[in-house]
Amino acid sequence: MSSGDIKGFYRQKKKNSGVTKPSSSSSSSKKSKSKHYTGGASVGAPSAAQTPALVTRGGAIDLKEEYGDEEEALRQFDMDMKYGPCIGFGRLERWERAAAMGLHPPPHVREVLVGLASGSTARSSKFKCLWEGLV
Amino acid sequence: MADSEMGEATLERKLAVYRNLDERFVIREEKYKGQQFSHIYFMRLHHMRSQLQSLIPNWKPHLPVNTVLGLEEGKECIIVGTLYKHMKLKPSILDEYSKERSAIPLVKPHNFMSTDDHLILEDESGRVKLAGPMLAPSAFVTGIVIAVHGKETSEGDFFVEDFLEAGLAPQVDRPLDSREDKFVAFVSGLSVGTNAFNPLQFQLLVDHVTGHLGDENEQRISSKIVRLVIAGNSMHISHGFFSGQTVAPKDHAKLTEPIRELDIFLTQLVAALPVDIMPGCNDPANYSLPQQPLHRCLFAGASAYNTFVSCTNPHHFELDNVQFVGTSGQNIDDLYKYSDAKDKIEFMERTLRWRHLAPTAPNTLGCYPYVDKDPFLIESCPHVYFVGNQEKYETRLLQGPDKQLVRLISIPRFCETGVAVMVHKQTPLSLSLKFLPPVSLFLLFYLCSLTLGTWNAMRSVSPQICKCDCGYPMGTALGSSMHTRLCSYFTGDILPLPISAFFFYLGRLFSPDCCNF
Repeated sequence: MSSGDIKGFYRQKKKNSGVTKPSSSSSSSKKSKSKHYTGGASVGAPSAAQTPALVTRGGAIDLKEEYGDEEEALRQFDMDMKYGPCIGFGRLERWERAAAMGLHPPPHVREVLVGLASGSTARSSKFKCLWEGLV
Repeated sequence: MADSEMGEATLERKLAVYRNLDERFVIREEKYKGQQFSHIYFMRLHHMRSQLQSLIPNWKPHLPVNTVLGLEEGKECIIVGTLYKHMKLKPSILDEYSKERSAIPLVKPHNFMSTDDHLILEDESGRVKLAGPMLAPSAFVTGIVIAVHGKETSEGDFFVEDFLEAGLAPQVDRPLDSREDKFVAFVSGLSVGTNAFNPLQFQLLVDHVTGHLGDENEQRISSKIVRLVIAGNSMHISHGFFSGQTVAPKDHAKLTEPIRELDIFLTQLVAALPVDIMPGCNDPANYSLPQQPLHRCLFAGASAYNTFVSCTNPHHFELDNVQFVGTSGQNIDDLYKYSDAKDKIEFMERTLRWRHLAPTAPNTLGCYPYVDKDPFLIESCPHVYFVGNQEKYETRLLQGPDKQLVRLISIPRFCETGVAVMVHKQTPLSLSLKFLPPVSLFLLFYLCSLTLGTWNAMRSVSPQICKCDCGYPMGTALGSSMHTRLCSYFTGDILPLPISAFFFYLGRLFSPDCCNF
């Protein structure tokens, strides 16, 4: 997690108040964006929409405007440690596993994923977890 | 299957209802999608935590159960998590890249413990170092799930006052006594293909188990053996072949020789009784646990019989409702490298108390990265727990708090000790059979017999002629039988002979731990 040069990297301006520099302290940093994204385990990480590495995901810069409420809910599901680690595991399979273990994962997440399966296949990146291809 | 004796009533081998429960160890639908080992640890923690949480109210009901992140300084509570043992001497792949090598000795010690080892408890939210005299790091390994009671100190460590292991799992009741005696025979570490392998010794075992050895009493015992389990390391392929270079055509035979030799012995065995064969660390099977069954094409002769069963390692089966669980030794050997105990049986006891067959997998023991289960968890306590390829034969009867009764057996390597183990299915007693080919004694007796025969021939006393019609004079009936045995061995004919019985009884006479209960 590099702590410098984010400002110089991007030429565009974001809607929210400036770039949040990742803090090196290990206290649980609640990144308060306008959409209340309270991540669980991503301590010290730069806010998700700003990292250059996310350019690889789907081939487009993952801007906050583009990923809407659905993706937000899916990311919340990914980050929730109660259902186990999310890396290397598809979201739908992880949901099924959590349901089989009796953890009562939120049903609307499954609806979103199943809805996507029947919809366009262009959004197949949503089936992979947040860190797919990055870790 | 009948073992018949000339002109007398046929003895029938006893039968037992067998159920193979290896399904959870077989890798069938699992697909590797690039996952890491975090999932198997998560499944282990989740499963063991729910079991521990049902036990905590009986242990210390008045204390709250916290997560690691929810710890407050000075407040007494209970936390449940996976243990990680930090070991300085544990070999790590990164040692190759470290600039200074002074801390790690070049010669790998057999045991990687040091006085600096300490334990850390981990759950999904975080990890905390465990301090205090209650938990001795030498008795624990990475990967077990326990509950600890204590409080957080000002340094950020967790001072342990007491700890709780899951203990023995509940056991299905042993079926009620039937009148019949039935035995299961175990053998491991045959190592066909090494210099240590003695074909005569193994042939004696085969003869005994199939009933070709001994008089009627011995045959009666053999007819009570319902199954033979070969617990790993049955063959040994010379390591020179593993270098990755192509094998010259003249060496092709050397590569397959051990397998073919084993197949010949196995065919004799499966013709007489059901045999389960498990892979071990030297067998041509995969390295990581659970090892998949040895392929049928390796055993061209034996796999034609329906009594031949190729099993996974670990192996779980049921005979007449008695549960047997065992491995080929990798799990206990790994525990031996990273922790300390009086003897191997104590390691076996610990794995039962921790309710996990191989707690060091996947940390130091190779394991498949499962995502949706941990197949090594012990859900119900077995009645017989066996481990193969150990140094010596040891056994103990373990009693649990809920009237569980487990017979623990450590099976020694046959190529080194010549000891096989027979377990009485019901009680469960176990006794060891030692197959000693006292080679020097044999030679001595043979020579004496020869001398006597020649002496008799000189005195024109009619000598005993060898039964195989080679015309060789032998002084005694026993000597002539011995000679016939030799002849039959080399011609491949196996005749029931008193001399084999002689060997058998001689062996029993000389082995001090022959019958062990």
